[in-house]
Amino acid sequence: MKTNLENFDEAKLTAYALNELDAAERSEVEKFLTANADARRWVEDVRQTVLQLEKELQGEECPALTAEQSRAIAKKIGDEKPAAGKISWWQWLPNFRLVEALAVVAVIAVMAAMLLPSLAKTKAKARHLALNSPQQLQQKSAPVAPTTTAAPSPVVMPAAQSPALFAEQPANTPARADGKFGFDLDALKSAPAAGDSTLAYDTAAREKLAPQSAPVGLAMGGANSYAGGTAFGLDDVRQTQMRASKVISSVNGVSFQQGASALTADGSISESFRNGTAASDAISAKLFAGAKDELAEQELADVPTQNNFYRLVNSPQTGTATYPRLVENSFLTALNHPLSTFSIDVDTASYANVRRFLTAGQLPPPAAVRLEEMINYFHYNYPQPRGNDPFAANIEIAGCPWNADHRLVRIGLKGREIAQDKRPPSNFVFLIDVSGSMQPPERLPLIKQALRQLVKKMTENDRVAIVIYAGAAGVKLESTSCAQKEIILQAIDELGAGGSTAGAAGIQAAYEVAQENFIKGGVNRVLLCTDGDFNVGITDQSQLVKIIQDKAKSGVFLTTLGVGTDNYKDALMQKLADKGNGNYAYLDTLEEAQKVLIDQMSGTLVTIAKDVKIQVEFNPVQVAAYRLIGYEKRMLRKEDFNNDKKDAGEIGAGHTVTALYEIVPAGGEIPASNVDPLKYQPTVEEKPERYVADSSKELLTLKLRYKQPDGDRSRLLEFPVTDSGKSFARASTDFKFATAVAEFGMLLRGSEFAGNATYGSVLELAQAAKGTDAEGYRSEFLTLVKTAQRLAGQ
Amino acid sequence: MTEAKSDWIKAALREHEGALVRYAAQITGDLDRARDVVQDTFLRLCAEEPARLDGHLAQWLFTVCRNRALDIQRKEQRMKPLDDLELATRASREHSPSAQAEQNDSAGRAQKFLKHLPPNQQEVVRLKFQNGLSYKEIAGVTNLSVTNVGFLIHTALKTLRQQMTEMEGTI
Repeated sequence: MKTNLENFDEAKLTAYALNELDAAERSEVEKFLTANADARRWVEDVRQTVLQLEKELQGEECPALTAEQSRAIAKKIGDEKPAAGKISWWQWLPNFRLVEALAVVAVIAVMAAMLLPSLAKTKAKARHLALNSPQQLQQKSAPVAPTTTAAPSPVVMPAAQSPALFAEQPANTPARADGKFGFDLDALKSAPAAGDSTLAYDTAAREKLAPQSAPVGLAMGGANSYAGGTAFGLDDVRQTQMRASKVISSVNGVSFQQGASALTADGSISESFRNGTAASDAISAKLFAGAKDELAEQELADVPTQNNFYRLVNSPQTGTATYPRLVENSFLTALNHPLSTFSIDVDTASYANVRRFLTAGQLPPPAAVRLEEMINYFHYNYPQPRGNDPFAANIEIAGCPWNADHRLVRIGLKGREIAQDKRPPSNFVFLIDVSGSMQPPERLPLIKQALRQLVKKMTENDRVAIVIYAGAAGVKLESTSCAQKEIILQAIDELGAGGSTAGAAGIQAAYEVAQENFIKGGVNRVLLCTDGDFNVGITDQSQLVKIIQDKAKSGVFLTTLGVGTDNYKDALMQKLADKGNGNYAYLDTLEEAQKVLIDQMSGTLVTIAKDVKIQVEFNPVQVAAYRLIGYEKRMLRKEDFNNDKKDAGEIGAGHTVTALYEIVPAGGEIPASNVDPLKYQPTVEEKPERYVADSSKELLTLKLRYKQPDGDRSRLLEFPVTDSGKSFARASTDFKFATAVAEFGMLLRGSEFAGNATYGSVLELAQAAKGTDAEGYRSEFLTLVKTAQRLAGQ
Repeated sequence: MTEAKSDWIKAALREHEGALVRYAAQITGDLDRARDVVQDTFLRLCAEEPARLDGHLAQWLFTVCRNRALDIQRKEQRMKPLDDLELATRASREHSPSAQAEQNDSAGRAQKFLKHLPPNQQEVVRLKFQNGLSYKEIAGVTNLSVTNVGFLIHTALKTLRQQMTEMEGTI
């Protein structure tokens, strides 16, 4: 075949034809397609070849397990003897398929909604493109799928009401109580069966099924009932697979458009998007009540990032959404809530996670966006501490770009920097998850590369041990001086993934090794590298937290390095780090590993102060109301500030920690205030004598508490702060950049306080405040904002 | 085991058992061994936490199945289509007439050519078009990069397309 593709990436065209591209790449390809007939022909060719391939390959026999093997599995899951009269799981199979059909239909609707912008654009630009002409596609699919020519319409019609279907159907269906409901690729795959069951109502296909299932049904009464059930299910599914897979492929091409327009008829895309989410929320709440009953409520509430719905939208992947309510700090009046107390957080995982979503062409689920971790991802040039304190506090106040009537207070902490050669001796234990799930290149191989780099930076004063865990936990390498780097590097090289995971034993062993080799005055740290997999049972999660909390008292710190795209355990990783006097980073790329472990090695690995808490007292004479931006998961009670038993965040050498308060100056209108004015409390006007002290000009007082890394008692620092009335335009570059990140985060979260912020304004702000940006992080930020802007259709 | 979890396993069996046996058989070239591999895969699944595999159940199953099968087949690593297998042990099962006709009609046109592709291309093509995995999932299963998977599939499709059009031309 002779084609002129102008050196365009051909594999990308193929990926486009197979629906494997993200939105950004898709639009790039579509642009190219409008201009190149050969490219269009190739895409067409791919689709036809694939139709043929799928037809043949999916028609290949799918042999079942033997009856004995099936029994062995049934026995393992405690199902070997279905009680007489009790409905066995396979007997509601047809029902299951129907539900799944609905799920698939709903999925398609959502995908359609997401695809709409790009499709519509292409359509407008290039009507002549065969690819996008529904009629032609329908004709094309017709000869290949004679039994299902009616397919597109039955499949698509319910799509318009899919959110409603979502909300009702799965909830009352046993099939759905299995905790995995079918929004996944698996569902799409079994869509064959599903699609068929929808269609079969008015086709002959149904009658064909009936006689066939009868003999199998009789066999069920016999001794082999379990195996019989399996055979029935598979046979049934396989039989319908070919036809239905065509439905799906035609749906891919044609029905998306119909589904999409159906959705636009009743609202914007984001509207339907949100509906879908709400619905999936409702279901998952129900499902998870059963499926995760062992999970402590707290744990469940802590799971912030998982939302298959978003993931699903662009890549037909899935999952079950446990999607807690989005919590956002709102405005509090200074009069009634003069104290704002929180723990610092130097984690940056949320930013890496958000980046992963955006890079994959999806907006992140709002709950995955933690504003403080976004803001703290970046390095700000706050002045170094003077005197003996391990960190300095730096406060800047200026106008608020998203609400002209408000002021912004930026609290910046800067940890003392420690030169590489002054780094105290280190005793590291790498605790590495080598279970089967760690096999993909972005997991164990990435960890291995990162640790290799880290080991290369260590000196003969440092020690490294390696503990692995999978089916069983064990010490892979006893604590070894970094004078013998080769031995350590070789041990890292030898790590391979395989087996299931017993995390608790591994953590025990790692801490033991760390304690045995404890370096007084040095850095003693366990680095837990995992995809978050501790599949020894959910109860063990709270046990894990307990172990770590207990071990943290020994003076061994913890770093959790998360890998992999499974962000379900994001919350657990964060919690472990939190309880273990540690920090948490999500490594999505080798560059990120480089940043966390090498560039910011001291910050990540050398803790200079622990249990750092911030308490701000606002002066009601100056401040009507205030709102802490982010840190929702780090809020403390006001009593906790002076309670040295109350754990809080750590700060590493050279780390910067930034917190922003949005302030409504006295006399200003308080947004979203649902509380009536108090009847019995004196207002500022009524009790002026209380407020006429010298301090009345002060905006707030910042109070900090911290402990030395090996200390038990905290030290208190206090800084009164006055607002000089600086405009935003005159704010420092770092102030402006942090503000841009905050705006970005608020937009991604759909914050009600985002005011007049837009992705455009974020871009403008960040562009102007990019500074020198030697490492390129801020430029990358700009790219992400542009991606988000595109994805949000702005 | 909680009911939710055993339901989860059953659903996984329902959806993937056959496809996995077929896939394992392509690697091992032996149906009995393939069945052992798949039994083992599901027994391992019993030790997994549903929530953890949420979203990548299929990828997990195919990965574990593949690794087990490769362990067994380390000596002769090759992909075999099922019709080459010794079929005596296979449970006999009738096809419905229409499905049967459809299958005969198209029997092996693309498949014939598929056999001549390099094993790694065959495998990704099967994972993609037979088992419906995404590029990303295939990358996870085969330990290749997504770009690499895309390239292999592209190359395979290009070859197949060419051969199929040539065949049409000669008929």
